[in-house]
Amino acid sequence: MERKLTREDLLKLGVAAGGAALAAGPVGLARAALSAESGRLQVLDWAGYGNDGGQAMFAQYVKSHPGNKPQFTYMTNESDALAKLHAGLKPDIFRPYVGWTKYFATSGLVQPWDTHLISNLKNLNPAMVKAGQYNGKQYGIPADWGFDKILYRSDKVKPKAKSWGLLFDERYKGKIAWFDDLGMLVATGLYLGVKNPWNQTDAELARTQKFLKSKKHLVRLMWASESNLWEAFGSGELWIAYAWPNDWVQMKKKKLKVVYMSPKEKPVAWVGMLMLLKDTPRKQLAHAYANAWVSTKSGKWLEDNYGYGHSNTHARPSSADLARVLQIANPKAVGLPNAYLDRDIPRRALYARMWEEVKAA
Amino acid sequence: MRLRSAFATTTLLGFPVAWLVAFFLVPIAIVALYSFDVYSLFPEKHGFTLAAWRAFIHSSVYLGLFWKSVNMALTVSVVVVVLAYPLAYYLALSGTKRKYVLLLILIAPFLTSYLLRVLAWKVILGNNGVLNSFLAWTGIRSPDHPVSQLLYSRFAVMLVLAYVWVPFVALPMFVSLDTLDRRLLEAAADLGASRWQAFRRVTLPLSLPGVAAGFFFVFIPTLGEFVTPSLVGGTSGYMYGNQIADLFSTGFPDWETGAVLALFLLAVVTVLTLFFARFTRVQEAG
Repeated sequence: MERKLTREDLLKLGVAAGGAALAAGPVGLARAALSAESGRLQVLDWAGYGNDGGQAMFAQYVKSHPGNKPQFTYMTNESDALAKLHAGLKPDIFRPYVGWTKYFATSGLVQPWDTHLISNLKNLNPAMVKAGQYNGKQYGIPADWGFDKILYRSDKVKPKAKSWGLLFDERYKGKIAWFDDLGMLVATGLYLGVKNPWNQTDAELARTQKFLKSKKHLVRLMWASESNLWEAFGSGELWIAYAWPNDWVQMKKKKLKVVYMSPKEKPVAWVGMLMLLKDTPRKQLAHAYANAWVSTKSGKWLEDNYGYGHSNTHARPSSADLARVLQIANPKAVGLPNAYLDRDIPRRALYARMWEEVKAA
Repeated sequence: MRLRSAFATTTLLGFPVAWLVAFFLVPIAIVALYSFDVYSLFPEKHGFTLAAWRAFIHSSVYLGLFWKSVNMALTVSVVVVVLAYPLAYYLALSGTKRKYVLLLILIAPFLTSYLLRVLAWKVILGNNGVLNSFLAWTGIRSPDHPVSQLLYSRFAVMLVLAYVWVPFVALPMFVSLDTLDRRLLEAAADLGASRWQAFRRVTLPLSLPGVAAGFFFVFIPTLGEFVTPSLVGGTSGYMYGNQIADLFSTGFPDWETGAVLALFLLAVVTVLTLFFARFTRVQEAG
């Protein structure tokens, strides 16, 4: 028989829930708040990290919240995510990379996490945790990480030096792939010896752009998705590519003789940051989801299956090769002197215009 | 009676006109407002400006890319027309009883997804693809030195676009040739014209509206194409349509410039369509 709740009943329930929460402390408070949240958790993430193969990353969340499975919308890059957010999409969580931390923290679109609700935070790499902070607040929970380096076929390519310059080597015309991203302006800036490649002066940026335009004829493909790169590299169309660790893993699986080279100008390291949207009505669920994402189990799964590093220091990949290339035992792998951690580009709109002009030229 | 007829016309036209206004004209107006920064993706202060238009007009890069795309679209359109005409001619004028069966076979590839058909070309053109394997098998090329510029090139984009559009273009040409008054050909023969003369002076001029329709059928969508170049074009096959898509979502969203590029393309296509409409009217009147 259906029984309708009267206002009096609701008040009683509220008082009882509040009392129970107070009695149970912060965790109890969180649980009480959690029970008050309604609607399915909305996640804006990259393809491959939702119900399209990435379920292991949030399995712990689904296990503890079987009635609230997350719903996904996919982003192709941070710019696409930004456009979606401004156009009215209302996710609870999304995952830009570390170079965008400051931008989003100051955009008014996100809010800091309550770190007390993320029990796995203590297991995360402190340098990466710090990279997720802005003005002392934790805007990003570090998750996956890796490097921008150069992948090349050792049976076909003989580099003159360990340098970003291999991406501009005239000897390999038609066999080179660049990354369709502003990271190309940064890597080129590093190669050209620009003091701060993330904040180049007008003259430096013009020089970088001119250089890229002059070398574009060498480039066969500018990849925007890894599957695109794997297909072309795997079939022998490409010998040299701006690449991520997983690309090296995938090409090794295809039995290709490949080297994942650290340029002497230093590689660029990146860290995925889970961010909490400002007006989320499902704050507690979002924290539970982020906590699941940074668990040791999820971290190991990510390393073994996607070939990236994970911020959880207890997570170790099964592959010794991957552990070596990621320098997994080095807690400072993503920082100097090993690599430059990707950072904010203050004049991002200008950089984007310069890069689009390189592609159009 | 006249009133009823006027009411019926209004009712019949009302829905499509409303549809066109709501889903074509209004979105274009919104895009135009973005191009003038009256609308902006970002909440910061903004207002009417011609800055994006000025930058576009003075940008040799974007206009250069546009001309590159015009060049590619023209090449594809001419190739497609040249390939489709004999097909349509055979189907319409050979007198075969199975012309509609053959026509069905011609358009059969459209039963499969566009994406699948484009991706199939990767299998054909790749380093380890059908073409290179054949060349290696015949000994024309060493397996270690395949013809590697087949895929991820301007050539690949034009080849795939030509393949995709040939059946589409053959259809209006077929209609144009199939409705040709055969007595004119008989008269030409009676007056001593050879088959080639009859074709040049009777068949071809009368089928020109179909040829023009076919040409514009290919040229207009190809000019703004971005799916095929994304899949098989690589760096050299990058087209104006790709630039529009990238301005909206890559690097940092630049909806103002993206809107300007899109509207410029629309303006060019509109002028071409008007030209085409005028051309066909002149042909029909002639």
